[in-house]
Amino acid sequence: MKTEADYYALFEAYRAGGLADAERTALEHRLAADPALAQRLNEFEELTGTLTAYGRRRALRQRLAAIHADMVTEQAPRLDLAKVAEQDERGEQFASGQAPRPMLRISRTEQKLRAFWQGHRATMMVAAAVAVLAVFTTLLGLEMYRTSQQSTSSRYGYTMLRREVERIKRDQRSMNRVITQIDAAAPTERLNPGKFSGTGFALTADGYLVTSYHVIQGADSLLIENSARQRFRAEPVFTDVAHDLAILQITDKDFTGFGRLPYAFKRGQSELGEKVYTLGYPREDLVFNDGSLSARSGFEGDTGFYQVSIPVNPGNSGGPLLDDRGNLIGVVSGRQMDVQSAAFATKSSYLMRLVDSLSAAGAGKPYNLPRYNQLGGNTRPQQIRKLQDYVFVVKVYE
Amino acid sequence: MGKGQPSYTDEEFVAAIRRDDDRALAQLYRLHFPMISHYVLQNSGTDDEAKDVYQEGVMVFYEKVRDGSLELSCQIKTYLYAVCRRLWLKRLAEKTRFGGRLDDHEPFLETGAEADLERAEEKERQLGTMAQSLDLIGEPCRSLLEGFYLLDKSMQQLTDEFGYTNADNAKNQKYKCLVRLKKLFFNQYQESN
Repeated sequence: MKTEADYYALFEAYRAGGLADAERTALEHRLAADPALAQRLNEFEELTGTLTAYGRRRALRQRLAAIHADMVTEQAPRLDLAKVAEQDERGEQFASGQAPRPMLRISRTEQKLRAFWQGHRATMMVAAAVAVLAVFTTLLGLEMYRTSQQSTSSRYGYTMLRREVERIKRDQRSMNRVITQIDAAAPTERLNPGKFSGTGFALTADGYLVTSYHVIQGADSLLIENSARQRFRAEPVFTDVAHDLAILQITDKDFTGFGRLPYAFKRGQSELGEKVYTLGYPREDLVFNDGSLSARSGFEGDTGFYQVSIPVNPGNSGGPLLDDRGNLIGVVSGRQMDVQSAAFATKSSYLMRLVDSLSAAGAGKPYNLPRYNQLGGNTRPQQIRKLQDYVFVVKVYE
Repeated sequence: MGKGQPSYTDEEFVAAIRRDDDRALAQLYRLHFPMISHYVLQNSGTDDEAKDVYQEGVMVFYEKVRDGSLELSCQIKTYLYAVCRRLWLKRLAEKTRFGGRLDDHEPFLETGAEADLERAEEKERQLGTMAQSLDLIGEPCRSLLEGFYLLDKSMQQLTDEFGYTNADNAKNQKYKCLVRLKKLFFNQYQESN
């Protein structure tokens, strides 16, 4: 009876070809006849095969590790002596068959940081890009907002005032108030309708007109149009930025005059609670609005203006403000956005003072202001019918 | 490429590795390591992991070449990339950190590498069991078997080393050890199956 070890000796000799012919044939016969023996041979072969494969694998692994270590040391030539010594040590390790692990000399923290960076690089890139984008969008947006704010305010000639408002906001002296000037951004559908438009009215019968300064600010040329669609060229004669006033003169050669003006200018101040109304061109047609005189000072207590409770719209600027008896008491200038129906109008007394000083200076044609008011005692519709020929659209071309 | 080293084409690489040309293997290793290293680092791996994955991939390739069973239908580069990609995916799945979303920077082709890998994995398992069995078998069997099968020492060398009176004694001891190893190995292998 053979032990398993004996069989193994036999198998090994058989595989190595160390058996005599007779023995070999005998074994092959037995293998063919005895499946248990064949199974045993199979197992033996699998076992030794795996063992040699394992050996080869181990050797290969060591070879690759050595190659890798070589590569790493080659890639990072070390200069200082300590590291050369270390390399020598590695060389010894090669000789002993123990493959060295190439080591990068980095601290544990740095390793973690590197791993984190490698893992989240893409995410961080995206985050950074978004952050940069957000910052620039915000800055750009703010800048655009500010420039747009500035352009509107400078168009209205109220930069100073705006600044005042912001300062007051900061100081909490005032409620959060913003003034918005009335101006028409609504261009008409006509051919070359002009960039802006406002309202103006006759100052004298021989071709002087009054409107708000901010209506004509930055204008290249002005065109006056009355309700009968008659058009005249005009140019500014004098402007008063502080009181938002502008005096225009019609320059057309064939202009003969307006005829006698039906209203007179009031030199004094009007009383609180007086019924007032205005005419203007917030749209293509003449529009009437009325209300009361609600305060004798304007925005931020400016004594050059009245506050009136008339609903006004962009385009009303420069319109005449008249009281019940048909006295002209002011020029509509602006409104306050966050207060219910608070419009402002330049007092006629300032207009008169301006005209007086211009007359005294003696520049240009003399100012023949109307002396008598023809509207007193008339009903509103009658007054308006008389008035409407003296109220104009002022079209501004830039 | 280092100076004075011949550069090989893919076919020459395969032929040289079949001849067991050490320099060709080293060169092949160097040639493609940056690609895999980059890939693994890109996908939340470390330098060490890149090295391990790459070495395993090269081993699969090498053993296929040595077997003569390699049918290269694509570049070696692509083959290695496919193998390493799979290996790294597996590792990542084990780490369960990143699901399966990977950034590919090489065109990923069907290279037959997948099938090769399954065979390689099976073999890996077998060899792992063998390593365990060898660890369990104890001395002097372990050294004896390692000496004979792994390090290719002759029986005479081993007889001298282990102090047996003659080579037959050593042989007998070896066969006994083999029997023990067989039991350990097949038991474990079946357990793990």
